[in-house]
Amino acid sequence: MTERKRSPWWPWVLFAWMALVIWAAFFYAPAAKGFKGESARIVFFHVPQAWVAVLAFCVNLIASLRYLRRRDLVDDARAAAAARLGLVFSVLATVTGSLFAKVMWGSFWNWDPREVSIAILLLVYAAYFALRESIPDDERRASLSSSYAVLAFVTMPFLVFVVPRIYWSLHPDTLINARGSIDMESRMFQVLMGALAGFTGLFSWLYTLDVRLARVGLKRRQSEES
Amino acid sequence: MPGPESLVWVAAVTVVIWIGVFFYCLALDRRVRRLEEGE
Repeated sequence: MTERKRSPWWPWVLFAWMALVIWAAFFYAPAAKGFKGESARIVFFHVPQAWVAVLAFCVNLIASLRYLRRRDLVDDARAAAAARLGLVFSVLATVTGSLFAKVMWGSFWNWDPREVSIAILLLVYAAYFALRESIPDDERRASLSSSYAVLAFVTMPFLVFVVPRIYWSLHPDTLINARGSIDMESRMFQVLMGALAGFTGLFSWLYTLDVRLARVGLKRRQSEES
Repeated sequence: MPGPESLVWVAAVTVVIWIGVFFYCLALDRRVRRLEEGE
């Protein structure tokens, strides 16, 4: 009889860490000045979600380039997993941003450069999945979607970092502002760093799960074919 | 402007969402482990 592997302990550390981050976000960090009520507390969720989306799109690029070099379908599965999570976290960042916009500016959507650029980015990566779904052959799908992912990534820094800085925006200063400094109260900064670490951990977990699941599927298909 | 009471509510909803996400991931982790063991 084979011994079953024990579940890892680290998800429980992540569970406790994120619970602590949530507590700290609402009850440890002070209310930010210059914002309506407690609305600025959304920064502890919105910024990490946006960070994870950028991280995921970077992982998508690396995995796509690896696929184009090695032609290993596991790399394609890695690229797809990263893009999927990037899309999910982009949607979450858009939703939390809209909630903030409603409180601060009275409307969920203001056609602000930040809002428009994230909407375009969502469409760019939604097209990646439309492309994947339209090609039944594994190798061809992987090849075309990896090439598309490289092109899609070129738009990402432009849409996330350049466009919102060129045009006047309602969006509050980014963490590292235009003057190159961080103007954030120290407790808020601590909580934000904790949230960034927690969300990065959650991304790593979800990404690993997605890739493991895809790897099992690939092995099954390969054994069925042979 | 939300008062301290509504802040507790928002925190509680966030915790509930986190618990849901966490246990979903944990269940998925176990399922993937079972599939890997069945290979």
